[in-house]
Amino acid sequence: MPSAPLDTRYQIETPEGIDLPLRPAGLPPRALAFAFDLGVRGLIMGILLVPLALLGNIGIGLGSLLLFLLSWWYMVLFEVLNQGCSPGKQVMGLRVVQDDGTPVGWSASLIRNLLRFVDMLPFGYFIGAISCLQHPHFKRLGDLAAGTLVIYREQPLARPQIPQASALRLPFALDLGEQRAILGFAERQGELSSERVHELASILATPLQVSPARAVEQLNGVARGLLGPT
Amino acid sequence: MRLSDASVVIRPRTAWEAMDLGVLMAREYRLLLMSSWALVSLPVFALLTALLWDHPSIALFVFWWLKPAFDRLPLYILSKALFGETPSIKQAVRHWPRLLKSQLLLSLTWRRLSLSRSFVLPVSQLEGLGGQARQQRLGVLLQRNAGAARWLTIIGVHLEIGLWFGCMAMFYLFIPDQVESDWDWQRLALAAGSDWLWLEHLTHAFYALILVFWEPIYIACGFSLYLNRRTVLEAWDLELVFRRLRQRLSSVAPLLLLVVGLMLIHASPQVMADDSNARTQLSTQAASQSVKTVLEQPPFKNPETVTRYRFGDEKPAAKNKAHGDGKLPAWLQSLLDSLNSNTFKHVGQGLEILLWSLVIGLLALLVWRYRDWLRAFVGRRPQRSPKIVKPAPAQLFGLELGIETLPEDIASTAEQLWPTQPREALGLLYRGLLSRLLHDYHLPLKSADTEGQVLERVHQLQQPHLLAFSDELTRHWQNLAYGHLLPPVSAQQKLCSDWRALFRSGAAQ
Repeated sequence: MPSAPLDTRYQIETPEGIDLPLRPAGLPPRALAFAFDLGVRGLIMGILLVPLALLGNIGIGLGSLLLFLLSWWYMVLFEVLNQGCSPGKQVMGLRVVQDDGTPVGWSASLIRNLLRFVDMLPFGYFIGAISCLQHPHFKRLGDLAAGTLVIYREQPLARPQIPQASALRLPFALDLGEQRAILGFAERQGELSSERVHELASILATPLQVSPARAVEQLNGVARGLLGPT
Repeated sequence: MRLSDASVVIRPRTAWEAMDLGVLMAREYRLLLMSSWALVSLPVFALLTALLWDHPSIALFVFWWLKPAFDRLPLYILSKALFGETPSIKQAVRHWPRLLKSQLLLSLTWRRLSLSRSFVLPVSQLEGLGGQARQQRLGVLLQRNAGAARWLTIIGVHLEIGLWFGCMAMFYLFIPDQVESDWDWQRLALAAGSDWLWLEHLTHAFYALILVFWEPIYIACGFSLYLNRRTVLEAWDLELVFRRLRQRLSSVAPLLLLVVGLMLIHASPQVMADDSNARTQLSTQAASQSVKTVLEQPPFKNPETVTRYRFGDEKPAAKNKAHGDGKLPAWLQSLLDSLNSNTFKHVGQGLEILLWSLVIGLLALLVWRYRDWLRAFVGRRPQRSPKIVKPAPAQLFGLELGIETLPEDIASTAEQLWPTQPREALGLLYRGLLSRLLHDYHLPLKSADTEGQVLERVHQLQQPHLLAFSDELTRHWQNLAYGHLLPPVSAQQKLCSDWRALFRSGAAQ
């Protein structure tokens, strides 16, 4: 058994002592994001090349410029100017950041995207895929060289609904994890079956000094108390 | 199953994060998973290859079709390892035949092509459900994360193909040159004869090797998706914390028992409500006011005035558009015509000129920027510094050349000196010549020049009389200076008269 349990989180501690948990993204969402970007680029090329083809030589010239821009600068420009999100990453809810969680800069983005061509060797992201599956934070070679990390963006949270109950205070102290669990119990009741809710609540019936039947109500009250007046 | 023994952090994740956890699990037990998979699958592959030697494609197809049978082994290992009972390779491989007993036929027939294969495998293998019960269970489990499980399989298919081709490309790249010259890759691709059967089997073996790497990861991802679904569905993470909390409290329970009872009686809802009401009445207005003022201040709000140019009215444009809608074909036609017309060609040429001039301008800028560097390291001509004029040397071969050191009339002075001091006379003439060259003809003489080099420079002036005189004078001077040979008397006269002819007339001009 490994000493520390496996987790997909990547902890950063800022100089102010704040823990920032980042969630590195693995191969499947990144592959989909890349496929999406590839499709977008193909679409742009397809749409723009038709009128350009009508223009003769100047059209071919402009087309070549466009091809260059799309293949070498598409990712870099989007990543640097759009907070680390290319359109594909935006769709998949991903983001590129530096290893320390700061936004990605020009040099890092250029390095990671130039090395894409190493990751592609010898065919279809062979090296990149293996590196991505083997690295604990799912980095391909470009990420390793540039010191960047692909993470899931934080999605805006919807305000959770907590069942109505009268607020209660417990006579003993709860640590942060326990407080969160009790709040989570109240918030997630809608998703759980009522039998399971009762089963979970009855675990705490004895310490709460109530009958198992009333434990759910009691826990909801504690959650209200923790939440404070809203 | 004891959740507290789990070797992964149990909490609800998004579907993609759950897959990432699967990748990490596969990474943690990679050696075990890969070696057990290889021990089970590679002998089967070898057997199939041997049996179907003449039909490589069928052998590969059968091997591929049998994947679900092998898949059960990594799932068994992972499910054991999740709760800390990691089996050894020997135990795992020995246990494999027992895993095959349940529902093997089903998973090898119509469940084979299911896209959520890895996600639903734990239901039949770990929960042991079948028939109606399994259907009901899947109905619940597949309400969410089913899409992610399908994507996993689709990505897996593409990844397998990509890795397989990558492996083949790698193999081709590593073939030595001598062998490769015989093996044109197009011929390899088209090779169908029985001579090349072994090569086809070899490429299929690459697929078997790729599966050793990828298939355990695929199964681990499906397993972690299943775990995550159950974590969400049954709130495993909450159960874990609640159990820990109960354990913690039960150890101090006897002491707390009385207190808890008392406090719960006191903390009746009525009391709590009154308490909070009293507090809110005290400060609602002031508190909300102060909250608002705090929220208006910098850390929360950073007002910023941005001034920039925008296009003017957008309404006329919209109107035009609406107006033009009816005439769109004509408008489009004229646009298409203009695309082909000369004016557009001119625009194109203008654009081209613009781009080229941009390139040239950039190049010029670059050259200008690095001009010093270029002159120092690239230029072939020696560095010229026209502004620094070297002062004319005051001496050549130890002879004073300043005008003020020479007499007015050099020729007559020399004539006077000839009988008594012929050496001084000739020296005076030669000094006079050098001085004239230096000051009248502005020859760039240096103090390091020899007599011969001085002559060469005179040669460059292209004045035959001067050259002839200089030539003769230099010859006599050299004879006297280095050979102590006095010039004959006739030569003495001639030199003086030549001098007069040359420089008198020059002075007169």
